[in-house]
Amino acid sequence: MAVIEAREITKQYDDVAALKNVDLVIHEGEFFGLLGPNGAGKTTLLKILTGQIRMTSGEAQILGMNIEDNVIDVKKKIAIVPEQESPPSFLTPREVLEMVASIRQIKNPDTEKWINFFELEAMEGRVCRNLSRGQKQKVMLAAAFISNAKLMFLDEPFINLDPIVQTKVRDWLVQYVNKGGTVFLNTHLLENAQRLCDRAAIIHNGKIQSMIKVKELNNQNMNLEELFHEIIL
Amino acid sequence: MNRLILWRMLQEEIRLNTSFASGKGFYSFPILVSISGFLAIAFTDEMISDMGYLEYLEVLHFGILFYGVFAGSLAFFGNEFLEKIFGYLGLIIGLPTTQPITQRKITLLYFVKEFIFYSFFTLIPAFIGGLIGSYFYGINLISLIEFSISLSFSFLTGLAFAYLISSLYRHSWKFSVVGGLITLIIYSLSVTNTAITPSLEWYLHKDPIFIFISLINPLIISFCATILVTDYHEEVTIRTIGYQDRLKEYIGKFSWAKQISNPTIISKERIDLQRSKTGTKMFFSFAFPLGILTFMNWFIDKGLPIQIDFNTIFYGVMVGFFGTMIYSWLNTIDSPTFYSTLPVTVSDVVRARLVLFFTITWWIPLLFLSLISYMSSEINLLPIGIIVMITVGMYIVNYTAWSTGLRTNSALFDAIIFLKFFIISVPPMIAMTILSLAISYSVSIVLIALSCICGILALFSIFFYNRIEVKWQNETFD
Repeated sequence: MAVIEAREITKQYDDVAALKNVDLVIHEGEFFGLLGPNGAGKTTLLKILTGQIRMTSGEAQILGMNIEDNVIDVKKKIAIVPEQESPPSFLTPREVLEMVASIRQIKNPDTEKWINFFELEAMEGRVCRNLSRGQKQKVMLAAAFISNAKLMFLDEPFINLDPIVQTKVRDWLVQYVNKGGTVFLNTHLLENAQRLCDRAAIIHNGKIQSMIKVKELNNQNMNLEELFHEIIL
Repeated sequence: MNRLILWRMLQEEIRLNTSFASGKGFYSFPILVSISGFLAIAFTDEMISDMGYLEYLEVLHFGILFYGVFAGSLAFFGNEFLEKIFGYLGLIIGLPTTQPITQRKITLLYFVKEFIFYSFFTLIPAFIGGLIGSYFYGINLISLIEFSISLSFSFLTGLAFAYLISSLYRHSWKFSVVGGLITLIIYSLSVTNTAITPSLEWYLHKDPIFIFISLINPLIISFCATILVTDYHEEVTIRTIGYQDRLKEYIGKFSWAKQISNPTIISKERIDLQRSKTGTKMFFSFAFPLGILTFMNWFIDKGLPIQIDFNTIFYGVMVGFFGTMIYSWLNTIDSPTFYSTLPVTVSDVVRARLVLFFTITWWIPLLFLSLISYMSSEINLLPIGIIVMITVGMYIVNYTAWSTGLRTNSALFDAIIFLKFFIISVPPMIAMTILSLAISYSVSIVLIALSCICGILALFSIFFYNRIEVKWQNETFD
């Protein structure tokens, strides 16, 4: 079953075409990676698919709902980690998780579990404004993971995280997908994409240049980095 | 290199302004200023006959001096606001953190940029408007040019004063208060036996020493400000540890408001308000315009042959109008971008902030009005003043929320939005001001008229409030 279906998505910023007729289908239980150089259109596509910005033309169905007409209903069922970490400045990490759980009306949220998972206990009593970038990123990830959503949009989630937390997050995401969750991962860290993704697309200059099944690529004794350089350079 | 940095700063300023106001709105602002310049010339004779020649020129100089202070405050304290609204902003003024250039030099260039920008953005357009006006109304061209030059010096002095305060503020807020007061006292003493600014004194008497003083004053102030800029500035942060988790407690307290907005959002905003200490800033931001108003009251009393007593009802109108500032403050506390990851609409957040305005910050205007009423021995007028204040406050704040959403500060930079705001706010305020002044002549008629206007404003408030959902529910937080 397709959880994301995008047809001919175009996004125009004045004279700049950020996305040009992007078509994309992602199925339930997939770990999908969107790869591309800086400014390729990765974040723009993710923001359109999550209803954070509007497309200029095209159509996108998320979990069977048209995103433009059902932004709130879609957001109730998905989790988002944006590119720049920006938890509410004056709330403590625990309060952020409580707020997310309350707005999403999650009964019995696993607040303690995620506080422990991301080692946020050490930040108790501190407001997010005073946390480091990596700590803020942990709060953002915890706020997404506590949502129990079936579909996750992650935009460069590993940036700012130390190697130990990166490993923990990677392992948890693999488990999440194995249990039926779907991940849409934006990244230019090709090593992570190689390890995690079932399928990946390379986007450049607002167009999807290549759609890759990572296993098949491995069978051809190639890796994502080689292919990426071949396409982009 | 300096010229290149200055040029890039000017480009940055224009791009920054056009990014948060529409390009059309931004570029039409100088046209509005030109029209104001034209009108100032057109009504010169009437104003002089009403106020007196010297008083009229003093009001203009006083106004431009404060405009300089305002523009400078916006420039030197504004980036903090912008970053809260738009998230991280990398501006050229931040270059010294990564490049081999001193903070002192870049701040001085920033100050020069401000003067050039505001000269082209407001002073020159106003002059052009005045020039056109002088053609139609027969004002002497040389006199107009001389007066415009004198105004520019007063503006520069105001700008330099704001620069000095910001430099002192980087050391500590106490320094800025003490330094600001000392500068004000020295300045006041220096103009005791002359016109309100040295440049006006030069314009009036053509004594060349005063044009020299007009130039040297802002130069000395900005020199001191530049010397005070240090390269190792540590941000003063709020308490880093010890906050209790209070979200759940507030969600419970605001559960009564669930028909109006989401109690969780209201609670988050409530905590923001408390921990950012914005309530204190709101309080002092009220004191400043009310101080100006009281000064104007005194000045008009002094300058005009007739006695005008602004009473509690008048202050009720003004304090209600300043409610816009409180709403605007609520929009500057924190960036709303996190909401974009949640099933929440912009209108949900706007309504949450309105709930906060009407429930948590109401004490600020009430306190001011009660104080004014007590000091004027007009406690009998306080109930009417409060009703007027609440009605005007509801009207203006609901309109502000409807028209500007979560970006009040930046939206009001857009000349078109500002013009609409002006048209919506000024007529009822003028009507209520006239009625407040007439209350001693016919109490019953004035009360009936005030009730009618309050009723109309209340209906408009409901209209604006109901339109918030339609206007903002599909907007994005980006």
